[in-house]
Amino acid sequence: MDPFLLEALVNGVLLGGVFALPVLGLNLVFGVVDVIWLCYAELVMVGMYAVWFLHTQAGWPLALAFAACLPVVAALGVALHLLVVRPLLGAPPINQVLATGGVLFVLQGGATLVFSTDFRSLGVEMPPMEVGEVFVSGTKLAAFVAALFGAAALWAFLKFTYVGTAIRAIARDREVMPLMGVDPRRSYLVTSAIGGTLAGFAACLLVVQLDVHPFVGLSFGPITFIICVMGGLGNMLGGFLAAFLMGILVSVGGFWWNTEMSYVVAFAFFIVVMFLRPRGLFAR
Amino acid sequence: MPNASATTRRGLLQAGAAGALAATVPATARAQQSGPARGEPLRVGVMTDLSGPFAGAGSQPLFWGAEVAIELFNERGGVDGRPVQAVTADSQSRTETAINEAERLLGQERLEVITGIYSSAHAVPLAQRFEQARKVMWITSAISVAVLKVRNLRYVFRPTVHSDQYGEASVSFVHEHAQARLGMPPERVRLAAIYEDGPYGTGVAAAIEAQARSRNMPLVLKEGYSASAPDLSTLVTKLRRERPDVVLHTGYNPDITLFLRQAKAGGLRFRALIGHGAGHAQIDRLTETFGNDVNHIYNVDPVGTQMLDWSKLRPGVGDLARVFVERYQAKHRVRDLPAHASMGFNNTWVFLEHVLKPSVRRTGGLSADALREAALEVDIPVGGTIQGYGVKFVPPGNPMSGQNERSFPVVMQFEGGRGRVVWPTAIAGGPPVLPLPPSSPFALRS
Repeated sequence: MDPFLLEALVNGVLLGGVFALPVLGLNLVFGVVDVIWLCYAELVMVGMYAVWFLHTQAGWPLALAFAACLPVVAALGVALHLLVVRPLLGAPPINQVLATGGVLFVLQGGATLVFSTDFRSLGVEMPPMEVGEVFVSGTKLAAFVAALFGAAALWAFLKFTYVGTAIRAIARDREVMPLMGVDPRRSYLVTSAIGGTLAGFAACLLVVQLDVHPFVGLSFGPITFIICVMGGLGNMLGGFLAAFLMGILVSVGGFWWNTEMSYVVAFAFFIVVMFLRPRGLFAR
Repeated sequence: MPNASATTRRGLLQAGAAGALAATVPATARAQQSGPARGEPLRVGVMTDLSGPFAGAGSQPLFWGAEVAIELFNERGGVDGRPVQAVTADSQSRTETAINEAERLLGQERLEVITGIYSSAHAVPLAQRFEQARKVMWITSAISVAVLKVRNLRYVFRPTVHSDQYGEASVSFVHEHAQARLGMPPERVRLAAIYEDGPYGTGVAAAIEAQARSRNMPLVLKEGYSASAPDLSTLVTKLRRERPDVVLHTGYNPDITLFLRQAKAGGLRFRALIGHGAGHAQIDRLTETFGNDVNHIYNVDPVGTQMLDWSKLRPGVGDLARVFVERYQAKHRVRDLPAHASMGFNNTWVFLEHVLKPSVRRTGGLSADALREAALEVDIPVGGTIQGYGVKFVPPGNPMSGQNERSFPVVMQFEGGRGRVVWPTAIAGGPPVLPLPPSSPFALRS
């Protein structure tokens, strides 16, 4: 096999790992609360700033900055739910989307005011791995492994804990489950906290790969939404698999054609999927 | 949805925009109180990207440079006592916002001229709008040749360099040094052009391709990408496969930092990396991010004035450059001014001193037609501006009407966060470090 094609394939898988975490968080929130957090990428951006600030400005060790990032963004997720989403739970979906879209601009504007438009770098990198003619970024590989770990932890939480089971039950039928003793308000709150935590986790993985700036969400936000829809909105496993599919499509498409065309190929595939399976590739 | 978003963002960024406005308006107010400029203000539009990705890729220093020019012009009396009042607009790194803001400045604010315009992606559609409105567009940064070429525009002027000149400069530089420094004839030097896929990047890449072809130099890869792409590792893989000696990169930011980071992680090696303005001009930022890893990379741009020997400029121009550099450094605490700061100051100063002033003196007021006439009469010899070039606009009826025919770029090389001119050889501050020394993580291992 052409070693450069193999490298593109590996890059695609690693890229899928980067997309996977925000996709999981977004899908979880949509599946349970039935609201799309249009500002999800901006929660990730806040987390990236938190890590950058704590590590480079406050002098915290990187591991501690990562650990602090998770509750910070989780709290932001809870605040988003309490202040913006909950008052609009009974409102038409377009109102909910516009409201979370408004938060997107609040967070971008706030970051611009606080941190300016400068690009901030964590200055952390890991040496690349070289196997024959194939180079694999150490940073991306570490992020990929961490993403898999995060996904596994989320799966275990939803599968083996009482709260996780309640969340899955609400996601399955939010009309009936309250009649069976599940408190939807509490489930929504916990889900928002988990969604925020996943955004914080994604921030930890992205901040070592991308510069932080107020508009960094534009780099991965739109494609995250597309992956969610492609995998089936609210479908955790579908979104997870679609993230890798999209990563490989972008990477190998770019290798065979060119970098611009890679996104054309990926989006064309998305459109075809929408025609053939409007509820998503892995919708049940 | 887009309208709602824009309104929300505008509201949210009000404080930031107010800060930017305040930076200019108080300067005007100070000039009105302390300097001789006390008459009715002359209102001039200044549109740049103060938010969004372009702000960090040169648009912010472009604005700050223009700000110093207006401040200084007013302190020196404005136009016979009438100060210039900047009416600022933030195009937010978005073409639709740039168009809306231009409409606001022309319609509601009733301005006769708008200066600035950082991005070619904004300048291309805006140029036609200004032509229709018969108002003057004075471009201080956007370089794409597509802004002016074969459009026979009469109200659009660009004192700065255009994209064809960028391609010519970088390829000429490599061609000139190939044998002596790379130890190979130019026809064997493998070039690769990578670029953001907007008018700016495609314009420069097309010029590089044409120049390489005319010099019989192999262009082994020419590939565009979206400036907001989250990953460029496949591009790095393809570059490794094609083994270029020289990578010619045209990008904004953060795509440049993403590429450099992934190029290092992906084991990409070359003999030289030549950037073409925008993000590559922000050497302070690049050094902050990459430290010594960005030593010895090149940038093609109009020269940052601090790199010139001011004694060789026309009388008085060196003094103007010194005042500008001192003020800018004091205000923004930078070691080495980005090229965009000089571009913002220089091209605004040319407008104020050589177009606005004679036009207002002649007509007693501010009108686009009078400004246009004055612009076409500008005749500044080489060495007459702080960036070394002269100014003479190509008249209507020519393929590049509105372009300054005396502008020229230079090739700069960076080391320790500071730049020096290495091409054209006649004004170079010494020979280039070529190929990359072994200390560079990007240097080809033999």
